[in-house]
Amino acid sequence: MFNYSFHWNQAFKALPQMLDGALVTLQIAILSMIIGMGLAIALTLFRLSGNRILGGLATGWVEIARNTPALFQIYMAHFGLGSFGIHLSPFTSLLVGIAFNNAGYLAENFRGALKAIPETQTRAARSLGMSPMQAFRYVVMPQMLRIAFLPATNQMVWAILMTSLGVTVGMNTDLAGVTQALNAVSFRTFEFFALAAVIYYVIAKVVTLAARLFAARMFRY
Amino acid sequence: MTKSAVFALGLAAATALTTPAFADKLDDVIASGTLRCAVVLDFPPMGSRDENNNPIGFDVDYCNDLAKALGVTAEIVETPFPERIPALMSGRVDVGVASTSDTLERAKTVGMTIPYFAFEMAVTANDKSGIKSFEDMKGKTVGATAGTFEAIALEKSVKEWGTGEFRPYQTQADVFLALSQGQIDATVSTSTVAQSNVKSGKFAGISVVGKAPYDIDYVALFTNREEYGFINYLNLFVNQQVRTGRYKELYEKWVGGPAPDLSVPGVYR
Repeated sequence: MFNYSFHWNQAFKALPQMLDGALVTLQIAILSMIIGMGLAIALTLFRLSGNRILGGLATGWVEIARNTPALFQIYMAHFGLGSFGIHLSPFTSLLVGIAFNNAGYLAENFRGALKAIPETQTRAARSLGMSPMQAFRYVVMPQMLRIAFLPATNQMVWAILMTSLGVTVGMNTDLAGVTQALNAVSFRTFEFFALAAVIYYVIAKVVTLAARLFAARMFRY
Repeated sequence: MTKSAVFALGLAAATALTTPAFADKLDDVIASGTLRCAVVLDFPPMGSRDENNNPIGFDVDYCNDLAKALGVTAEIVETPFPERIPALMSGRVDVGVASTSDTLERAKTVGMTIPYFAFEMAVTANDKSGIKSFEDMKGKTVGATAGTFEAIALEKSVKEWGTGEFRPYQTQADVFLALSQGQIDATVSTSTVAQSNVKSGKFAGISVVGKAPYDIDYVALFTNREEYGFINYLNLFVNQQVRTGRYKELYEKWVGGPAPDLSVPGVYR
């Protein structure tokens, strides 16, 4: 039994506030992808380096990031670090948590992409006199990024959706936070959450399409 | 028998067959033999769990009393603050005994009874923050449990002050954890919750520093807006709880001290 009459005008009145929240959501997702991408490249290099400590660190990171819930990672960034006296704001906690998660998944994407690049290319580059770093930077990495690009857009969509977990650490400016606050005041749960779902859907869809157009332009042969 | 008499008889029979017996929520609850109450179990002393994980608290006892009055068994459905309305609307619970403030905004969505409890608001601060009163909170980072009366009021205050930051946490426990870690400097909560958390010893370095100048937070039972029969019964039940002294008894048991007045002087309800 579903017994509820919808007051849509009340939800539409709050649309500007929710769109402001959507901007914050997008901002966190983009920042977390940039940071995550940088970290993932570092982790990939660590794993390739052959150094035991760096390799172990990278493997540990990837293992934890991929095998624990994002909720746990964000909660730990806020309350876990908080118990050691390191106080991150809700915004930073959320960003750190998602960037940590992104780095783990993207590092795995990169590992898969590396497997697709024949090792003979590295050897050929080295025999041309490139240093190992040069060979990675000029020959392997561009191809790696190209192969990993579409899987990485998946992670971007995932990052957008993960921002909704920020409410657990007191985030109230992103889309999920704004929606919760509106709901608390008025109890119009279904209208506000339906609207939020639509906004999330649109953002995710636009990002996917944009990435596809970008890929089609950039990666033409 | 005349033609018209046959027609009238037929019409009467048809009406009797097509009009379903009207059973409202009160009937449904009595017929099902179970009263399902939405109770927040993260809100001591109103609702929490004992060492054996059984629900206890003022709201739990209140639900049990209500079930007894209806002659049915009570089922406590644990419901966090933000999920009270979805739980009711999706038919998972019959009534909310969940310390719900009876705001006019919310009454557009659900049906509220007369108040069954009243809270005063207290400020609890981290000892290191130097906050000694409500006014000292200005410009600091403060927090409260998302979706509560005090969270809405405090967020408004922060906006009016124009400085400082407000953070809503999902549970009361998270608010006090953040407070004792120093992530937030102070919180406004009901004085009952504040006392009970400070006394529990689970959160170090915090103390209740004073009252918050917010209106008394009257809380009501709630059910579907159109269930007048049920709301009527609930209103009488709340009245009887006070009349029979059970309200005072429960207040003494879970909170202690003189029970707050549930009526507003000078106006009818």
